[in-house]
Amino acid sequence: MSRRLRWWAGILIPFGVLAVARWVLPLPFLVEVLIFSVYTMACNFLLGRVGFISFGQPAYLAAGAYGTAFYLYYFGRDPLLGILAGLASGLLFSAVVGLVFVRLRSDYFALVNLALAVIVYHLMQKVLAPITKGDNGLWFLDRMTSTPVLDLTRPDGFVWFAWLVAVAVWALYKALDDTVFGACCLATKTNEDKVKFLGYHDFKIRWTAFVLANTTAALAGSLYGVYFGFVSPEMASAARAADPVVVTILGGTGTLYGPLVGALAYVGMKDLVSGVVGNWEFFVGLLLVVIMLAGERGIWGTLEPWLRRRWAWRRPAPALQE
Amino acid sequence: MDAHLWISGVVYGLSMGSIFFLLAAGLSLCFGLMRIISLDQLLYYSLGAYVAYQVNVSTGLTWPAMLCGALAAGALSWVVERWVFDRIYAREITFTMITSFGILVAGVGAIKYVWGLVPRPMGIPVEAQVALLGVNVPVYRIIVIGIAGAVYGAIQWLLNRTIVGTAIRAAVEDVDQVEGLGVDVYRLFTGTFVGAGVLSGLAGALHGPLVMVDPQMGLEVVPFVFMVVIIGGLGSLKGTLVSAFLVGQVVSLGSLVYAPLAQMAPFAAMLLILLWKPTGLYGSALLRR
Repeated sequence: MSRRLRWWAGILIPFGVLAVARWVLPLPFLVEVLIFSVYTMACNFLLGRVGFISFGQPAYLAAGAYGTAFYLYYFGRDPLLGILAGLASGLLFSAVVGLVFVRLRSDYFALVNLALAVIVYHLMQKVLAPITKGDNGLWFLDRMTSTPVLDLTRPDGFVWFAWLVAVAVWALYKALDDTVFGACCLATKTNEDKVKFLGYHDFKIRWTAFVLANTTAALAGSLYGVYFGFVSPEMASAARAADPVVVTILGGTGTLYGPLVGALAYVGMKDLVSGVVGNWEFFVGLLLVVIMLAGERGIWGTLEPWLRRRWAWRRPAPALQE
Repeated sequence: MDAHLWISGVVYGLSMGSIFFLLAAGLSLCFGLMRIISLDQLLYYSLGAYVAYQVNVSTGLTWPAMLCGALAAGALSWVVERWVFDRIYAREITFTMITSFGILVAGVGAIKYVWGLVPRPMGIPVEAQVALLGVNVPVYRIIVIGIAGAVYGAIQWLLNRTIVGTAIRAAVEDVDQVEGLGVDVYRLFTGTFVGAGVLSGLAGALHGPLVMVDPQMGLEVVPFVFMVVIIGGLGSLKGTLVSAFLVGQVVSLGSLVYAPLAQMAPFAAMLLILLWKPTGLYGSALLRR
């Protein structure tokens, strides 16, 4: 019992702090942090556990967002079903794409994903313009019906929904670390030949991990869609392709809380810097280079050992970083 | 569809392929020799275009402006090589890719800061047109194709006929051996990196008059350049040339068939080629993971 409690405490304490912050921080900021942390969690899993680096995450984000948007604009009105539609479309999209992409070497993988993001962007902007309304995007904010218990159409209800989703995603990925599958993912990253030698199907593991992570990215996309009530091709823009990778590294690659810390720091910095100088890309790029040169441990990766020493946590830090 | 449209389409595709080749050749060489993926080449491309535009506007010169653009790009690449890449050559490929992406994003931010967000038109050096098989074709595009051909010849000559080129080719095979023979490989690395930077800057300066010079131009061309590199096979110069012209033609002729398809057709081509050959047309199997 106490073990299970400690397991959940690891997730609920940071998110509890975030929930309390609801009464301190501005609402849009908190929603942005929550959704972005889910988006980054997917990238963190790919980069830290499976060793895939992808510059094409916006493609999967857009897959989820457009799944939601199509449902809410053309078919139904229920935002919960809309999010399910987004999840389904993300699952389908990444399952098909994964069949080809997972076979590629990691450097090819990153670049092919970037190309995919551009293709999705052009697909949504021009080729499918009759359905997607091109650059104008799809507006469905007033089409959504309010849902019982948590009203997703109101920011006040939505922030709690996003919070619940984020906690669920964290629990999923934390639980995954303790399973055989999680160990296999890490093993394919470290030594692929040994995984094959041990009798595991290398391709299957990578494909499942790829689909899982990109469906999570699609979930973040559909959350964005429902929150703004608006989806445009801008979501798949290659100019935003680096964001999840940057935030993952900023927070600390492969750490559990890295994406959350990274999203908090990144969104905060975006709000602060763009308020002062207006042009924050420069600082994001600079920060990325500095973190990489300083040893790529990121904010949480630097803080964690210090915190452990400080409070002498019982379990030693898992050695995820080489 | 009439033949005139097709001929001008082919010339358009060739000139676009030439730009892609100039950009991708540097990337491909860097990968072959140093095992890095240098996304910041796209920054030197943008910088080359902007410096060429600036010199062109202030002095009215055209060809010297382009030379200035290429040299400025080379200078920046030298600084970046000294400060950043010199420390990370030994790291794995994805590491260099992320770091160089950071440099690219920061550089694009700086360009936006200096020149603003508005696209700028750039003067074209040669406005004349020449009749080719009864079709009027801009001379400038033919010159661009000629420059790319000359650059390919020059690199091949450098690699195959000079002692430095021999050292580079040997270092592609085995860096440690070459270092053991007493060659300062880091000087080779610097030279190759700056050379790649100059080529990228030249590509940007030459591309400037054909498109508008705008801050996003580096990011917009990223997918095409990497498509070229991937189709050709990382590290192969010949493959890069072939696939650059292939992608140029697919974009150009694809847009004649069905305009919205132009941006996507190369992607489909790339997928097919990768399914058939996972390391690209001329990629070496040795580099496979």
